[in-house]
Amino acid sequence: MLNFFEQTGRRSLRALDETGYAACLLGESLFWTLFGRRWRQPVRLSSVVAQMMQVGMEALPIATLLSAAIGFMLAVQSLYSLGLFGAESFAHVGIALALTREFSPLIIGILMAGRSGSALAARLSAMTISQEVDALRTIGVNPVRFLVAPATLAMLIMLPALVMWSNLVGLGAAGLFVSASLETSFASFVAGITDVLTPTDLLHGLGKSALFAVLIAIIASVNGSRVTGGSEGVGRVTTRAVVHAISAIIVCDMIFGFLATL
Amino acid sequence: MTTQAQENSADIAPPNPPVAAAVEVRGLDAHYGQNQVLFDLSLSIRPSEIMVIMGGSGSGKSTFLRHLIGLERPTSGTIELLGKDITRLGPVELLDQCRGIGVAFQGGALFSSLSVLENIKLPLREHTRLDEKTMDIMARMKLEVVNLSGFGDLMPSELSGGMLKRAAVARAIATDPKLLFFDEPSAGLDPVVSAALDDLILRLRDAMDMTIVVVTHEIHSAFKIADRITILDSGRILESGTPDQLRNSGNKRVESLLNRRPDDTPLDPDEYLRRLAGTA
Repeated sequence: MLNFFEQTGRRSLRALDETGYAACLLGESLFWTLFGRRWRQPVRLSSVVAQMMQVGMEALPIATLLSAAIGFMLAVQSLYSLGLFGAESFAHVGIALALTREFSPLIIGILMAGRSGSALAARLSAMTISQEVDALRTIGVNPVRFLVAPATLAMLIMLPALVMWSNLVGLGAAGLFVSASLETSFASFVAGITDVLTPTDLLHGLGKSALFAVLIAIIASVNGSRVTGGSEGVGRVTTRAVVHAISAIIVCDMIFGFLATL
Repeated sequence: MTTQAQENSADIAPPNPPVAAAVEVRGLDAHYGQNQVLFDLSLSIRPSEIMVIMGGSGSGKSTFLRHLIGLERPTSGTIELLGKDITRLGPVELLDQCRGIGVAFQGGALFSSLSVLENIKLPLREHTRLDEKTMDIMARMKLEVVNLSGFGDLMPSELSGGMLKRAAVARAIATDPKLLFFDEPSAGLDPVVSAALDDLILRLRDAMDMTIVVVTHEIHSAFKIADRITILDSGRILESGTPDQLRNSGNKRVESLLNRRPDDTPLDPDEYLRRLAGTA
């Protein structure tokens, strides 16, 4: 019994320690982004652009495929469930709101956590183990400014951009299925969703995605920079970063959704 | 009042003006958690001198090096590099101070995502406003110094162990630092490559007038390159002097280390933990 409490206590302290470290890392990233140039430690645009290519452009094919699948799936389920009440013609309302407010940010967030979050955690941990991070310090380069800040900025720009793209693709796929099933025109589906959607709905999804972007980047950086135990440690922290990021995304999504609809 | 001997020595050689040390360590204590790993270390390294820091595994030499290059903060004591006490500097000032030193790590620590040439250009890109072409020329000159000209476009993973270490030296001297640190330069290299690296260290000191600090446990290499050697044991300075002075040292532990005789002294558990922490 004592062991249980001891374990719980140790884990709580470790979680608290990691949360504090994450907050410091986020603060430091923000500091270097805003004031780095003044201290001759600028966050270089070329690094941010390179990260944006990795995080965003290279993820475009898989993001497109997943978004189309989600849009299609939502259309199928909406037509089936609304068909029970003979209300298929209102399918576009549920599809548009669910996709922009919930599904696009969530699915792209999870995709980014698995794809870019794991890559960042693996890269940082491998660099830590091979003393590349120490080498950066001895060269006079702050590792947070050089590694974490560009990745966080790139994620912050590209995740909402991918969510916008996902909205378009998902709604397009859903529209094609709905218009084919109900034998209506695609234009009428588009007109329906433009009537339903407000800027607030889009901002709701984009706000979430910005929050997810920061969570993914910081969780990956915390895990990557605190690696121990050689190459085995790299695998362990990479898995941990993905699991933590996905869990954080889902919990934050719930809290955000609840607070935003109060 | 002066003694006869002092008067005689004054007749033979006029007193030299005191030269500011390149590295001055005073009363350095360091802890890992609750365990103290370095005990009251004091050391002075003159400009253009090659100081070799030796010791067995867990003696604290790597920990000492990490403190010297600003990667760890000591519990107490001061470390002056080129006249600046790095223990009193804030994080940003410490990064600035690092621009005046070069470090060649044991495994090279080249950035695996960059080519060898880009690795060498990184310090120049970060700390100078040189145009791309000038940086390119400078980086290729450094590659020539370490006998790696023509290998700049390779990735670090394509280099052998010896080439990797030489490339790391090229990056360390990219900004022409006055102070250069080596962590185990000969580790994992065959004797021929190791000897070539020793020659490179001597050449750097002579040609570029650098002060060089080498942490190693390779006795042959240490005696070849060192002006002075400091031997650490259990986080304390056991002996410090010229290679000849150490050869004639009456200290049994120094003799054991130099003659590669195993240490028969039983290790108590606390001491073992301390050594373990020293290598962490």
